[in-house]
Amino acid sequence: MTNIKEFMPIDRRLFLSGVSKFLAVSAASSFIPSIVSAAELKETLRIAIAKPAGDLNPHKYTGLWGVQDLLFEPLVRYGHHGKIEPGLATEWVVEDGGKRLKLTLRQGVTFHDGAPFDAKAVDWNLKRWIGLEANNWMNSSRLFDGTEIVDDRHINIRFKEPVLGLLQELAYVRPVRFLSPQSVGSDGAYKEPIGTGPWRQLSASNEGSGFERYDGYWGDKPTYKNLEVKVLPDSRGRVAALRAGDVDLIGGAFVSPLTATEAQSLKAAGVDVVVEPGTTTMVMAFNPDRVAALKDPLVRKAINLGIDRDAISKVLYRGLAEPTGNLFSEVVPLSGKRYEVPQRNVESAKSLLEKAGWVGSPVRQKDGKDLAIEIVVSEEQVPGSRSVAEVMQSELQELGIALAIRSVDHASRHSDIPERKFDLAFFQTFGAPYEPFGTVVGLFLSTYDNGVDGKLFIDPENLDPLVTAAMSAPESEMQAALQKVYDWLHDNDAIAPLLYVPGIWAHSSRVKGFDGPATEYDMPYKNITLSE
Amino acid sequence: MLVFIAKRARNAVLLLFLASVLCFTLVVSAPGNVAILIAELRTPTATKEDIAKVEEELGLNKPLLERYGFWLQGALKGNLGISYKTGEDVGAALRSRLSVTATLVAGGAVVAFVLSLLVGFIGALWAHRMPDYIMRGIALLGASTPSFFVGALLVYAFSVNWHLLPTFGFSGPASWVLPWLTLGFLPAAVLSRVVRVGFEDAMAKPYVLTARSKGLSQTRILFRDALPNIAPTYLNALGTQIGTMVVGAVVVEPLFAWQGLGDLFLAGVRFRDFMVVQACLLVFITFFVILNVVVDIGITLTDPRLRRQRS
Repeated sequence: MTNIKEFMPIDRRLFLSGVSKFLAVSAASSFIPSIVSAAELKETLRIAIAKPAGDLNPHKYTGLWGVQDLLFEPLVRYGHHGKIEPGLATEWVVEDGGKRLKLTLRQGVTFHDGAPFDAKAVDWNLKRWIGLEANNWMNSSRLFDGTEIVDDRHINIRFKEPVLGLLQELAYVRPVRFLSPQSVGSDGAYKEPIGTGPWRQLSASNEGSGFERYDGYWGDKPTYKNLEVKVLPDSRGRVAALRAGDVDLIGGAFVSPLTATEAQSLKAAGVDVVVEPGTTTMVMAFNPDRVAALKDPLVRKAINLGIDRDAISKVLYRGLAEPTGNLFSEVVPLSGKRYEVPQRNVESAKSLLEKAGWVGSPVRQKDGKDLAIEIVVSEEQVPGSRSVAEVMQSELQELGIALAIRSVDHASRHSDIPERKFDLAFFQTFGAPYEPFGTVVGLFLSTYDNGVDGKLFIDPENLDPLVTAAMSAPESEMQAALQKVYDWLHDNDAIAPLLYVPGIWAHSSRVKGFDGPATEYDMPYKNITLSE
Repeated sequence: MLVFIAKRARNAVLLLFLASVLCFTLVVSAPGNVAILIAELRTPTATKEDIAKVEEELGLNKPLLERYGFWLQGALKGNLGISYKTGEDVGAALRSRLSVTATLVAGGAVVAFVLSLLVGFIGALWAHRMPDYIMRGIALLGASTPSFFVGALLVYAFSVNWHLLPTFGFSGPASWVLPWLTLGFLPAAVLSRVVRVGFEDAMAKPYVLTARSKGLSQTRILFRDALPNIAPTYLNALGTQIGTMVVGAVVVEPLFAWQGLGDLFLAGVRFRDFMVVQACLLVFITFFVILNVVVDIGITLTDPRLRRQRS
């Protein structure tokens, strides 16, 4: 009998030892990069982002705000409580009855490619977005009249009319921030994300992006050399990555959202969690155009009183969100006087409905019609909103109102809301730096085409004149004019403000000096230092 | 055999066509308008005119049949179109992500294969005794636990608690272990029952009695006599489970931040990105069809009765 080894020189032992060696080498090789990068890790802040940074062209709307904020800077910055602070412009004066903005530019600023930031660069950037149709949702773009370069450090921008919220608009992340004039092709097409910010991009892929500190930065430079943003689409994955020490910072509405439940579990595990008041308000909209019953302010008031805001805060934010009766939080400029937070009062609500002519049980009726309404919820827009709707369903049932819930996805909501295919729906105000005018004009003025965001409440006869008056009021009278809008909405129960959406962040113990961003569109890296 | 393969290939083409029609119909009939989402990407407060412009530009206002015909024409030439959301070439996006999903599914399949045979064998070797009951319990648990939960538990144990493996990423074998285990666990549980029940049946057959009368050991009978007899059934079930793993990838990839086809498909569905959804489905269906053909061939090769029948 022929020995099998003559044909197969590899025996079982040799084979198994080969396989085990291969596996050991493969496993070790995957750990080597992590050993090598351990030294670099000390100098690297790793932030989780929920989706790839995308096309970062600051003059388009496709990139991730927070990542654009790392690279590109504005003329002025929107600080906490709406304070406008110097950015690439050190001084600014509004002249000619609000029709001319005189800017003094910061000296010694260069783009990452070495190009100087001067009046010519400002002019070149402005011409790439201002006055273009796609940007006419901004007053500064719609009313733009021209520029005048005075010298390298001075430039004037002219407008056809005074611009409402001009400085706030110039603090936006896009499309107003500054790109190097050398970072485009010969045809003017955008090529690379080169700005003046403290970080410059080294790499970008679907997995994440890498940045290094720009040592030629004009301002306070970060104390660490590198910053990485890592794409982690799943929120549980982000929480686990933070706990395992694979990332340093998660959170924010647009960076890598963290739910209140997740924040609480992180806190229980000893992770640092930061909850900020936030500048966005969650509001419930009534649509009287679709349901006749909602035309009656008494019915709207009854619903307003039938809702338990504390319960909503607990369901959605584990009690971290502050219930409210106001459209804006106090941290928003010109947010008006404080109204009392409506407390759930079933008896008062019932008597209001009876006064409005809705009687009977279990579902109230009027003229043979049931008091039945539908609420549209989208979990993608407000995670947990389905649960909130269910809480409301049972609360309103107690009043004799039949509430049906229609759950839709992001795409369907974007069709239904502007087409006003809802009876009740959850909205969120735009938040800083767009407030208060972003919401007041965008969500309430019937003649303003707000596109896919839709309208919270419209009343051309009564509300429009108040909004228009506030828009055109001189600065000294603006507060009073806006108060009239807030009072009208409150007195007519036109909307049901529910709670202020908190900004929730969590970071590893090596992150020190974390300070929540002034707006949800900024990346909060500024005061951070990394400990050993 | 060649005739058999040719027939399967013909059926596969027909199936692909029908699936693409069905997919197109489902995507376009879903509520929500992709033009609104695209217009919003271009300008935050896109007006009705902006939306109409997008519809015109992308041909979304054209009759459905024309739109489908246009897509089919391109697909036949290998042009799968441009993503509505990113403007990226869909073919290029698929190519860059295919290796990620292939790594995931292949690893998951190996895990399922090894684990299922191990659990099945242990159960069969100690049939109706404690090890068998334990394995049965593990299988029941595995079959009734969703992948995302298994993944979360594994991450908690191996990454958060013991710091042995990374929580996410596609950066080498260490980062592959948890996604493979997550994806392979459920199919392993199902397949282990196929192995165990298959052995139970096989061990009741007369040839096993003959083997026993010859004095062969239980292990030897299991490997030499019973295993080849359960192979066709097992291969069939394995094929089905690998097919479902592609669906499982849609859940597992985002969990571990793997930028594969599952992740791309999910993003496409959310955005109503018909081009991406259609292309992903085409890849998935092609995979299913090829997998079925391979399984059929495998079964034919392992089962002499089928071989004789088909020859």
